[in-house]
Amino acid sequence: MSVLPWLVAAWLFGVGVYGIVSSRNYVHLIGCLSVCQSSSYVLLLGLGYRWGAGPPIFYDHPPGTPAVDPVVQALVLTDIVVGATVTALLLALALQVHKRRGSLDPQELRPLDRRGS
Amino acid sequence: MTLLLAALLLLTAASGLGVVLTRDPRRQVFALSANGVVLTLLFLALQAPDVALSELAVGTAATPLLFLVTLVAVRINKSRR
Amino acid sequence: MTPRWRTLLLVLAGLVILPGVWRVAMALPPFGAPTSPYGQAVNALVPSLRHVSNMVSAVNFDVRGFDTLGEEFMLLCAVTGTVLILRGGRGEDRRAKAGRIAGRALEPRSDATVLICRMFGVFTLVFGFYVTLHATATPGGGFQGGVVVASGLLLVYLGEGYRGWRRIARAPVLDGLEGGGALLFALAGLLPVVLGRAYLENVLPLGTVKDILSGGLMLVENVGVAFAVAGGFAMIMVEFMEETRATQSEVEE
Repeated sequence: MSVLPWLVAAWLFGVGVYGIVSSRNYVHLIGCLSVCQSSSYVLLLGLGYRWGAGPPIFYDHPPGTPAVDPVVQALVLTDIVVGATVTALLLALALQVHKRRGSLDPQELRPLDRRGS
Repeated sequence: MTLLLAALLLLTAASGLGVVLTRDPRRQVFALSANGVVLTLLFLALQAPDVALSELAVGTAATPLLFLVTLVAVRINKSRR
Repeated sequence: MTPRWRTLLLVLAGLVILPGVWRVAMALPPFGAPTSPYGQAVNALVPSLRHVSNMVSAVNFDVRGFDTLGEEFMLLCAVTGTVLILRGGRGEDRRAKAGRIAGRALEPRSDATVLICRMFGVFTLVFGFYVTLHATATPGGGFQGGVVVASGLLLVYLGEGYRGWRRIARAPVLDGLEGGGALLFALAGLLPVVLGRAYLENVLPLGTVKDILSGGLMLVENVGVAFAVAGGFAMIMVEFMEETRATQSEVEE
């Protein structure tokens, strides 16, 4: 099964998008968005992996021992931290929506709905 | 593919599904925390210790806390209106 | 569009995209095969070029340092946006100290929680500093250390309660820490420009391998990132928790 990581990444993304589409609560929707983000981490780190290689830290082993790709690890590392702050921004927006409209349900908050305020 | 990596990848798929299928936001917080732990183990198995350290601190502690505090603030605002 | 139609549209889109996803998954290189010569080149050359042993930190702060500058400003923008939205929503009605909303139940914290959080909060903060300082030797760096420090502050909150925590994590200090960290990174890049070299080029003495003071300019950028990340996360936490607290007018009435 040498395609399992790619399939798991595609599955996570699909499941996350399904959760976003069928969500009835904005906070639940933001949680599903974090699942989509984790699919990209799995894909990137899966691409960098090599059989029988160690981490790209040459403290205990001399430089030249087989190591996995450090560039994708650097990408995922900054992505995780910045993704958490973007999640915080989205949660602040959801809180403001609740303060103004009184509801967190995407169905009740459609802008062109004449019944709402 | 070693058994450990295959098992961790399948566990990641299952925990992602668990986060999405937990509709109640208060319960989804704990599903998110468990998802963070599973991702940390996967990143460790993929020989990425820096990434695992970040994901542990962020996905298990910081992000679920923000979700919880948002839910508390939503409930307080509901009673304030 | 009703939820039923939305889900139907998603299923249709999935059916259309699924053959493409399958083809791409089959066309990607098999898991475990070496894919990128760039990564192999970094692993082979950077230890001797920059005298560091943590390749991920070297890529973050030296080889692709410009991208990390962009990421840090993304973090700054997200934190600024969050703080603007939450503080702006509350308006001028703010308190510098902790206020409790009348009528809200005060759950007593158990002694076990307080004891464990007091012990491990300080320990986690020290561990965060350790992880930040060992950026160029062992797994560590500004991003990891910053979030570990933030989670240590969270443990301090659980151990001390909100009132004690607000006395430790003061908003002006956190503001300065977060902005100052991003500024430090940008200014560290300007140092080589002053000396007539390229922006973010490594001009400080490189030190010896496996020493924590190796890597030259990487150390300054590392400290900047750690400040920005820790300050940013702590500021977000303070602003969110202030949402659950009484404002000045509510306390006085």
